[in-house]
Amino acid sequence: MDLVIQLLLNGIVNGSHYALLGLGFGLIFATTRIVHFAFGSIFTFGAYVAWFVSGYMGAPIFLGLAAGVVVAMGLGVASYVGLYQPLERRGVSPLIPLIASLGLTIVLENLVGIIFGTGARTIDAETSIHFLGPAFFTSIHVWQVVSFLLVCVLLYLFVNYTRYGKAIMAMTDDPEMARVIGIDTARVSILVFALGSALSAIAALLVTLKDGASTHMGFTAVFMGFVAVIVGGVGSLRGAIAGGFLLGLVESLGLWKISTEWQSSIAFIVLFLMILLRPHGLFSLARR
Amino acid sequence: MDFLYHIGVLFCLYAILATSFNLLIGFAGLFALSHAALYAIGAYTTAILTTKLGLAFPLPLLGSVLFAMLLSTIIALPALRVNGHYLVIVSLALQIIVLQVILNWKSLTGGTDGIGGIPPYHFGNLVIDTPFRFMMVAFIALVLCYCIARVLIRSPFGRALRAMRDNESAAQAVGLDILFMKVAVFAISAGLAAVAGSLFAQYFSYVSAESFSINETIYILAMVILGGVGNLRGSVLGAAILIILPELLKFLPLPVDIADKIRLVLYGCVLMAVLVFAPQGLLPEPRGRKAMWVSPDGGDDRTDDEALLSSEGGKRDEIVLEGRNLGKRFGGVVAVSDFSISLKKGRITGLLGPNGAGKTTAFNLLTGFLKPTSGQILLHGKDIARKKPHELVDAGVARSFQDLRLFTNMTVLENVMVALPGQKVRSIWRLFLTPMAVRRREQEAMRKAMHILRFVELHDRAYETAADLSYAEEKLLVVARLLATGAEVLLFDEPMSGLDQTTLHDIFPVIRKLAEHGKAVCIIEHNLDVIKELCDEVFFLDEGRTMAVGKPDELMNNPELAERYFK
Amino acid sequence: MVRKIIASVMAAGLLAFAGGASAQEKPNDPASYKFGAILAMSGKADWYGKVMSRAIQLAVDEINAKGGVDGIPLEAIIEDHKSGVAKEGVSAMNRLISIHKVQAVLTSFSPPTLAIAPIADEKGILLLNGGGTSAALLKASQNMFHNRTLASDLGLAAVKWAETRGLGDMAQMVWKNDAGESVAASAQPYWEKAGHKVVATEFVELGASNIDTQVAKVRVSNPSWVGLWLFSPESGLAIKKLREFGVKAPLIGIEYTGDIKEIAGSQVEGFEYASDYFTPSDEYPWSRDFAAAYKARYGEDPEFYAANYYENVYVLAEAIRRARAKGGDYWDGRKLISAIRENPVFDSVYGGSMTYQSNGVAKKRVAIFKVEEGKGKFVQYVSLD
Repeated sequence: MDLVIQLLLNGIVNGSHYALLGLGFGLIFATTRIVHFAFGSIFTFGAYVAWFVSGYMGAPIFLGLAAGVVVAMGLGVASYVGLYQPLERRGVSPLIPLIASLGLTIVLENLVGIIFGTGARTIDAETSIHFLGPAFFTSIHVWQVVSFLLVCVLLYLFVNYTRYGKAIMAMTDDPEMARVIGIDTARVSILVFALGSALSAIAALLVTLKDGASTHMGFTAVFMGFVAVIVGGVGSLRGAIAGGFLLGLVESLGLWKISTEWQSSIAFIVLFLMILLRPHGLFSLARR
Repeated sequence: MDFLYHIGVLFCLYAILATSFNLLIGFAGLFALSHAALYAIGAYTTAILTTKLGLAFPLPLLGSVLFAMLLSTIIALPALRVNGHYLVIVSLALQIIVLQVILNWKSLTGGTDGIGGIPPYHFGNLVIDTPFRFMMVAFIALVLCYCIARVLIRSPFGRALRAMRDNESAAQAVGLDILFMKVAVFAISAGLAAVAGSLFAQYFSYVSAESFSINETIYILAMVILGGVGNLRGSVLGAAILIILPELLKFLPLPVDIADKIRLVLYGCVLMAVLVFAPQGLLPEPRGRKAMWVSPDGGDDRTDDEALLSSEGGKRDEIVLEGRNLGKRFGGVVAVSDFSISLKKGRITGLLGPNGAGKTTAFNLLTGFLKPTSGQILLHGKDIARKKPHELVDAGVARSFQDLRLFTNMTVLENVMVALPGQKVRSIWRLFLTPMAVRRREQEAMRKAMHILRFVELHDRAYETAADLSYAEEKLLVVARLLATGAEVLLFDEPMSGLDQTTLHDIFPVIRKLAEHGKAVCIIEHNLDVIKELCDEVFFLDEGRTMAVGKPDELMNNPELAERYFK
Repeated sequence: MVRKIIASVMAAGLLAFAGGASAQEKPNDPASYKFGAILAMSGKADWYGKVMSRAIQLAVDEINAKGGVDGIPLEAIIEDHKSGVAKEGVSAMNRLISIHKVQAVLTSFSPPTLAIAPIADEKGILLLNGGGTSAALLKASQNMFHNRTLASDLGLAAVKWAETRGLGDMAQMVWKNDAGESVAASAQPYWEKAGHKVVATEFVELGASNIDTQVAKVRVSNPSWVGLWLFSPESGLAIKKLREFGVKAPLIGIEYTGDIKEIAGSQVEGFEYASDYFTPSDEYPWSRDFAAAYKARYGEDPEFYAANYYENVYVLAEAIRRARAKGGDYWDGRKLISAIRENPVFDSVYGGSMTYQSNGVAKKRVAIFKVEEGKGKFVQYVSLD
C-alpha cells in the first residue's frame, strides 16, 4: 500500500511534467498542425542554457530560467520563420514539415553537444524533503506541480481574455475559418511557437533541477508531449493536460506489478489501447 | 577496396528499405513509422533460424519474409484503423514496443547481447564471405525487390493504392476494399523490409537491437522524402545519396572531439535544405502518361453507348433501391429520423431540402458510409443495411460527393479506370504469375475507360492530371467515374453546383442519357431549375424526415414546402 | 571459417618464428603507424567517446613528441559508432582497413565490438578493448585483448564486498543493456547462493531521465543494501534519487566517474564501488604523470576509461616495437598479435605491469573504494577467485 501511495505521488509529479510538455507541444500542434519534433531539442537547449547561467555561472535560478525561456522562444520562432513557414508557403503536404523537423532535431541536438560539451549537467538547488504518511516528495516535486498549475492559470486567462489568445483558439478550431475572419495566422503561429517553446524551457529547467540534464533528453520529452496530445485529443488543451496526467499516472502505477524493464512500453501500450477505444482522444474537437 | 564494396552492400540494403517504405508512405499514403521494427523482425528471424535451427538459404530468408508479413498483418489490423497523425504516433509506439519485446525476450533474442555467429551464405562451394561477393548477392536482391515493387505500383493494385492515398472515402465509393488494400500493402512492404533484414543478418553475422532504432526509421524516411515520395527510382537515388553523403563528410578535416557531431549537423542541414527547396524530392512522382503501365495507344474501337450502359433486364419504373423509415442518430443528435425513399429504374429522382435537412446523411446511409440506427435499406428487395460501401458498389449502388473527391494526382483516364469493376486485385500473386493476362485486362480496361470519357466528352483530357482540370471538367469526371463503376443505382451529391448555364446544359443530357439507358439516378440539388428540368420525382426532406413526395412542379407549388425551403 | 582462423593463426605463428630466426632481415617500415579507434563520438553515450578519444590523443602526442616508435610516428583515426550501433561499427572498421590501412583498432562498447570481431579475425587486425564489458566479448575474437575487467567480475567483487560487510537482502538496479545485465548475471546467483535474498530487481534504460518508479519500488522492498549495476551517468541519478527518497541502506556500485559525481552531488558521500584500481599516486610515477598531463590538457581528472585507452595506445606502441625487432613485414596485425601472445606482459599505467591471460583479458586488481568528500578512497582489494 505504501508503494501505491508513493507511485501515485510520483505519477502526479511526472504527470504535471508531461502535461506541461503536452501543453507546449499541443499549443503548437493544435494551432499550426505542424508536428514540431524539434520541440524536444529546443527543450534540451533550454535546459543547457539554464544550466549555463545558473549552474556554471552561478547566477540565481530565476535568471537561468529567464535565459532558458528567452533562448527557447528565439529558437522556436526561428524554426517557424526559417523552416516551417517557407514550407507552408509552398503548400507542401503535412508530412514534409514533420521530416524537416526531424532534420532540425538532428542539428539542434548535436549543436547542444558542440556548444555545451557532452555529459550530464546539474544545477544545485536547495531542496527539502517532505513526508506524506509513508510517501516522500521533495520541494522540487512541489515546484513542478505548482509551476504547472501557475502556467495553466496564466494560459487560461490569456486564451480567454486577450485578443491574441482568442485568435489562437479560433485557429485551433479551424485554421481556414480563422484566416477567413481576418486573423493574421502567420503572426499567431509565431506567437504559439514562442509560447510553446517558453513552456518547454520551464519544464526543462524543472527537470534539470530534479534529475539533471543530458544532451539526448529531448526525445523522450517531445515524445511524451506528443503522446499526451494524441491521448487527450488533438486540438484540445484540456485534453493535453488530461493526457499528460494519464500518462504520468499510468507509467508510474502501471509498474506497480509489472517489471520495470517494460517501463518505456507501458505508455505506448496505453496509447495503443486508447486510440483503439477512443480514436479521437479524451477531449476531441475533431468533427469527422 | 572492401570498403567500397561494403558501401555497395549498405546501398543495396537501404535501397530495398527505402523502396519498400515508399510503397507504404508514397503510394499508399500510410504514414506508418515502424519500418525499422519490420526490418528488425526480418533480421532476427534469420538470425534465429540460422543459429538455433541451423537452416540454410533460402529457408531463413523465406522465414523472415513470411513471418514479417504475418506479424505486420496482425499489428496492421488495429493500427490501420486510424489515420494521419494518429497513425504516425501509433506506429512509432509499435516500433518501440517491438524493440522492447526483442530486448526483453532474452532466451530467444539474446536480449541486449544480440545474436552473433550467423553463418554466411553458402551456395554450393561458394561462400559469400567477402564484401564483394555479398554486394553481388545484395544487388540481385535489390533488383528483385525493386521489380516486385515496380510491378505492383504499375498494376491495377498500384493504381488503387494511389487512389486510396488521394482520397480514402472516394476510393471506397468506387468499390475499393481499402482495409484489404492497407493490410496487403503493409504486409508486402514488411516482407520486402524483411528481405533487407535477412541480408543484414547474413552480412554482419551479428544482430542487436541498437541497429533498428527509431533513428533507423527516420534515416530510411529521409531517403524516401529526399528521393521523392511516390517515385521508386527516387528511393534508390535517395538511398545512394544518404549512404554516400556521410562518407564524404568523413573527409572533412574537423576537430576530433566534435567531428562526428558537426557531420550530423551538416547532414541535418542538407536534409532541411532539400525539403525547403525541393519539397517534392529530387525525382517527383511521375504524372500523366509516364505514370501509366499500359501503353495508351491501345486502339479505341467504338462501341455504342448501348453496350456501355447495358443494364441487365428489369422494367422501367421498377423499384431498385428502397430506404424504409431510416433513422440515424449521432450520440444525442438526430440527423435523420424517418426517411423513406424509393429509386426507380430509368428514372431521375431528386432529393430536395433546406441546408441541414439531412440530405447528405441520407446519401451516406443509402451507400453504406453510415449504418442506420433504425430502418431498412433494400436493393431489389434484399436487405443491404449491413454492407460496406465497397460491397455496395459491387452490388450496384454507387455515389459521388458534393466536394468531388477526385484522385487529384492521377490522370483523368486513371480516375476512370480505377473505378471500373474488376479492379479489386484480390490476388496479388496473379500480377506475377500471369503478367500477360493482367496486361490484356489492362488494355481492355483502358479501352472501356476511354469510351466512358468519350461519353462525357472528356477524352481529349484523358492524360491530364486530374488536378489540372477546370471545375466543369472535374464535375464531368465525377460523372464518368461514377459511371465506370457499372452500378445500376447512381447517387449524385450536387453534381451541378457552381456550374454556369452553358456547362449545365452540357451535363444535363449526360445525366438524362444515363436514365434512358436504365440507370436509377438520384441527385441532391439546390437549384430548383435543375430539379424541374431533370427530375421525374422529388423527395422533399426536412428535419431528417421525408416531408413530401411528388412531381417537381407539384412540390414547388406547395407553399408550406416553399416556406420551409426558403426560410 | 574456424579452420581458416586456425590456419591463419598458425601461419602467423610460423612467420613470427621464421622472423625470429632471421633477425637480421631489415624491417619494412611504414611512413607512420596508423591505427583506428571506434568510439561513441555522438549519440546517447557520447561522454565515453569524449573521454576515450582525449586519452588516445594524449598518448599519441606523448609518444610522437619522444620521436614516435623507433622514430616512426603513430597516427590515430577516430571513428564513431553512434553510441553502440553495430552497423556503424562495421562501416567504420571497413573504412579503417580499406582507406587508412590500419593494422590495429581500439574498440569500445559491446555491440559494435561483437560486430567487427569477425572482420578483425578475417583480416588479421589487432583489437584492443578498454571499455566494452560484456562477457560475450570473450568468445568473439582470437585477435582481441582487453585491459578492462569484465563487468561480470566487477559485479562479483561488489557482492563479495557486501558479503564481507555482512549485509543481507539485496535490491538491485540494472542498466538495460549488455553491460548492466552481465553484472546482474554474475552478482545475483552469487548472492542467492550465499543464502541471501534478492528483494527487488529494477531496470533502468540508457539515458533514462525518470527513474522515480524504480526507486520507489526499491525503497518499499526495504533492502539491507542496494546493488547499482549501472554505469555513468545513470548511477549518479540512482544514487541521488535513492537518497532523496530516504533509502539509507549502503549503496554499492561498479563505477565512479565525474558525471556520477556531478549528478549525485553531495548525496554521493559514502557510495561504495568495485573498480579497476586506477588512482594516481606517487608510488607509481607513470599514473601520476598521466593524471597530471591529462588534467593540464583537458582540465579534468582522468577516469579509468581514459586510463585504459591511454594504456592501450602504449600497449600498441610496445607491441609494434617488439614486432619490429624481428624485422621483415612486421607492420601487420597478425604479427602484432603474436608479439603480444609471445610475451603478454606490459607496463600498466595503473602501476606495475599487467599480464594478458589466454582469454585475452589482462586482469587488473579490483578494489573497493568508498566516496569521501567527493573522492574515491581505496578501501581494500578483492580477490575474485
